[in-house]
Amino acid sequence: MAAIGGTRVNPKKFHKNQIPFYLYLVPIAIFMGMPIVYIINHAFKPMDELFAFPPRFFVQHPSLINFQNLFQAAGSSSIPFSRYVFNSLVVTVAVVVLSVLISTMAAFALSKMKFRFKNPIFEINNLALMFVATAVTIPRYLTISQIGILDTYWAHILPQVAMPVCLFLIKQFVDGVPNSLIEAAQLEGAGSWKIYYKIILPLIKPAIATGAILVFQNVWNNIETSNLFTTSEGVKTLAFYMNTLSTAGSVQGQGMAAAASLIMFIPNLLLFVVMQSSVMNTMAHSGLK
Amino acid sequence: MSKKVKNIHDKKHLTRRTLREWGWGYVFIAPWIVGVCIFFLYAMIQSLQFAFHRVELSGGVILHPLENGIFENFVKVFTTDVNFPTTLANFGIGLVLQLPVIIAFSLIIALLLNSKIRCRGLFRLIFFLPVIIATGPVMNQMTAQGVASVPMVSQNAMLGMLEGLPQFIYEPINNLFSSLILILWNSGIQILIFLAGLQKVPRAMYEAATIDGASGWETFWKITLPSVKSLILLNSIYTVVTLATGGSNEIIELIYSATYTATQGYSYAMAMSWIYTAVVAVILVIVFLLLKEKSDRKVVYEQKRVDMKGV
Repeated sequence: MAAIGGTRVNPKKFHKNQIPFYLYLVPIAIFMGMPIVYIINHAFKPMDELFAFPPRFFVQHPSLINFQNLFQAAGSSSIPFSRYVFNSLVVTVAVVVLSVLISTMAAFALSKMKFRFKNPIFEINNLALMFVATAVTIPRYLTISQIGILDTYWAHILPQVAMPVCLFLIKQFVDGVPNSLIEAAQLEGAGSWKIYYKIILPLIKPAIATGAILVFQNVWNNIETSNLFTTSEGVKTLAFYMNTLSTAGSVQGQGMAAAASLIMFIPNLLLFVVMQSSVMNTMAHSGLK
Repeated sequence: MSKKVKNIHDKKHLTRRTLREWGWGYVFIAPWIVGVCIFFLYAMIQSLQFAFHRVELSGGVILHPLENGIFENFVKVFTTDVNFPTTLANFGIGLVLQLPVIIAFSLIIALLLNSKIRCRGLFRLIFFLPVIIATGPVMNQMTAQGVASVPMVSQNAMLGMLEGLPQFIYEPINNLFSSLILILWNSGIQILIFLAGLQKVPRAMYEAATIDGASGWETFWKITLPSVKSLILLNSIYTVVTLATGGSNEIIELIYSATYTATQGYSYAMAMSWIYTAVVAVILVIVFLLLKEKSDRKVVYEQKRVDMKGV
């Protein structure tokens, strides 16, 4: 099998050996692709098709009415639409950058360094991993108001930065980096920081990408922080705004919700396309075990 | 810096060098510790405290001691609540059934995606897509409209076969089938993790196995599976955690509604969530013990040598 493509990731030509793979992959891919087809179709459905029973998967007479309604509603509110977009961008970028930085640093320390209380710290992370987020909302609210960051961007950013799942994932990948590499770097006189950004970070790129995507979609779609930790409209996020528009109770709400979810989904898609092409193909050549 | 020297230092006393090494460790972990202490640990301790008190939320928080013993809230969950114990049991059984399905499915898909075919990038994209949308309101809409269940005759035939079984077995299996597509949609991250692992298995190993006359089946069991074994554990834990804390979870909804209703009180919801956390923890420990890697030094050693050559 290896002779077909050599070191190239994708074979250039179609080969009949590939047919069995397609036989499995294509039908499953169709199943897996259903949500995206649905989300696109749903956004363009006119009112009568949205409420049709039994519901139709594909749109019959596509129209832009939902988007028109959405933008009309957005234009008539006191806070400009761009403000929500800006808020969401600031919060999301800050959380993704901070949490990737913190998680990779912590993962490096937990996996490759020696210090006291290492295991208890990891156990705490595992406990946090399992804990139901709903249960800590009220204590968190109290903490945030005590620190005095209620109703600011920090109220969005700080509670979301510590993602236990992210640290857990990344740590497992750092475990796979061979110790011999690090020892070699130490022999050459590299300090901890240098090892961190010259060896660890390049080698765990796929984990970083996965973690970043996870964090991104969590934060981008999060309406809880806007709901609980902020009161003034000026610092609320796009997801929250979209949610209020679409749950306003009007008949148009359903259509606007469909259009809004398509709009909210596009950044996710773009991010993933960028991440996956730059990261997935470099993995084959990394020194990871 | 040889390992022997370090070990001697560790045993005897804290030399300057070990202290410096520890220091770097603390520097790297400090931001994370601060975040977790403030937003997780402190909040969790408070919620535990709330669970053992009667909480009055009026502007601030006022704690009243419980009248009927310190475990009143916990006892109440099991004695007076109609929904919680059954929902919890159903959740546990459902989890145990879903876990192997997700793991097997994502491993198979990852194997397929790792083979040499055209349009791999496109397929990878498609399989990961549901994850990106899963948190949105779209999923709920789709489930509500019944798009997420398998409308197949075989399903009905299956159910006919299962009808003789007692209710508590029949129901979770039924749920498993009716949300099968939803389960598959939730396995994007797992596929990605397996794929990352599979791509790191040196191709030379497969070539050597083919030359020695190993069949595809044998290569799978002898090379592929051992090299992704640690990832199976990782994926299982990840799956349990996401299923347990994800949005479309009946117990979370129960806790959520209890949190914001005045009838049973906030502390009651806290007791519920601690019980739930304990159950999830037990499941995780079992998963961990079942899948834990036995020290298979030989494989690790050989892989390391290959890595060194590659580097």
